[in-house]
Amino acid sequence: MTATPLTDELVLETLRQVIDPEIGCNIVDLGLIYRYAFQAGKLTVTMTLTTPGCPMHDSIAEGVKNILLTLDGVTEVEVEVVWNPPWHPSMMTETGRAMAGVRSF
Amino acid sequence: MEVILPKSAAAESKPSPQKLVRPAATPNLAGMRAEAVRLPLCFVLTGVLSLLVSGAVLLAQPDLLAMYHYTPHLIAITHLFVLGFICSIVMGAMYQLVPVTLETQLFSEKLVLFQFAAHVIGFVGMVWAFWNFNLALVGVFGSVLTLGVGLFVFNLAWTLAKVKRWNTIKFGITSALIWLSATVAAGLFVTASKFWTFFAFQPLAAMHAHAHLGVIGVFVLMIVTVSYKLVPMFTLSELQSERRAWASVALINIGLVGTFITVWFQESFKPLFALVTIGGFVLYGWEMVAILRARNRRVLDWGMKYFLTAIGLLVPLAILALALTWSGLPVNAVTMQLESVYGLLGLFGLVGLAILGMLYKIVPFLVWFHSYSRHIGRAKVPALADMYSVRLQIAGYWTFLAGLACLSVATAWSQTAGIRWGGGLLVLSLAIFALNMGKMLTHFVRPKVEPFAKKQTLR
Repeated sequence: MTATPLTDELVLETLRQVIDPEIGCNIVDLGLIYRYAFQAGKLTVTMTLTTPGCPMHDSIAEGVKNILLTLDGVTEVEVEVVWNPPWHPSMMTETGRAMAGVRSF
Repeated sequence: MEVILPKSAAAESKPSPQKLVRPAATPNLAGMRAEAVRLPLCFVLTGVLSLLVSGAVLLAQPDLLAMYHYTPHLIAITHLFVLGFICSIVMGAMYQLVPVTLETQLFSEKLVLFQFAAHVIGFVGMVWAFWNFNLALVGVFGSVLTLGVGLFVFNLAWTLAKVKRWNTIKFGITSALIWLSATVAAGLFVTASKFWTFFAFQPLAAMHAHAHLGVIGVFVLMIVTVSYKLVPMFTLSELQSERRAWASVALINIGLVGTFITVWFQESFKPLFALVTIGGFVLYGWEMVAILRARNRRVLDWGMKYFLTAIGLLVPLAILALALTWSGLPVNAVTMQLESVYGLLGLFGLVGLAILGMLYKIVPFLVWFHSYSRHIGRAKVPALADMYSVRLQIAGYWTFLAGLACLSVATAWSQTAGIRWGGGLLVLSLAIFALNMGKMLTHFVRPKVEPFAKKQTLR
């Protein structure tokens, strides 16, 4: 099997498969992914959640780790959940807003 | 490779996050292991079962509501509804919601199991003893229930103690726990006074004071408090004024102390304290409207509509409360029945409907957590809203409101046929809810996990 090169599109498309089950929208279009960096097989993701104390905290972070580990060349994933800057609906994409019924900014 | 997101959103409005100052302190929610959701779910199922049984009894014996409410069978049904349905759900929900709203962990999961056993034995025994009007057994089973309440209060008090900063939510939940202990103590005192003489009091007035303490102090205060976190969370909004929220809880507390004393001792200051309590609810309503106006999620889901409609019932309840505390109110058959309508709107309407609304949030989450949390990122899992039928939810909403309206009018005029129709509609609404619960629970038994569609891009 030919290895798929790790591109931005591939990382984002992969992360789009993880949804926030309460809002019913994937975490990329929800604007929860703040940054990611790839170096020597290790993918480090910095992300947030819609609200501190979100009951899905561990599940979503674990989900991000699980799905990124399925990518070619990724041997380790570190997920850091941060609250600053706090998430705001203006961070959502237009697609995300449409999916979640959120007003435009 | 380093990428900063969100790309599209950054281009549209806000600058991209550059500084990451505060890493999240993982709330962990008692680990929120799949096993941890089973006990809250047991409380919820016990509650739903009690609700169905109380509805069925009212349907079979509608005359219970057509007469004055101080009868053994109606007291038994009220305790089945209050302890079996409301208390079970509130306790199960609190074990889940307190860690969420205060961003901490539950003190002990083991205590939950012991509390559940004491709660079920206590309330089932009490209902049976009230039905047969065996007050000695009411005292025995009431003591078992008290043991359970003690464990519940202890567990949550230690959970609250871990949260250093006082905010509206900690203030409200702490108050509700104090009122819960006081309600149980008052109930046991009223029962014990049937056997021993402490001091002279009017039993019916004491029962009304006990009911206000429990319904307003425990259930309504918990609804008010958790909604300050949950309504912004579900509508993507924010609390608009912490001071207003704090003041609302403070006023409800002050009003409740006065209401309890003036109702128990039949003092003439009842309307004054009713007004203070209503003042707290006015501030609460004001804050809710402000939160909803600032919301980012345009469409309210039906769970939220159930909940907000329930809160709206505070308006007729406040009017009824003021009318019933007015000393010039003539004592006749209709005004005496208005007390039953007040109780019905408060318990079935406000508390019952708010709980049904919240159950559409709590049960899917508990089931989802049990069945899908380990699959997230490994397979396609459903969203919470995919786990039940929205059509059934809407049908249940309108049937409930029609039933409540019919039951309230028929109770006011002691019309047995109307009570049966109203009760029938309410039971139908509950059956619809049970059907939706069944749909949610099928995910507990048979999770619907599908492989991801674009598997070729993955290893």
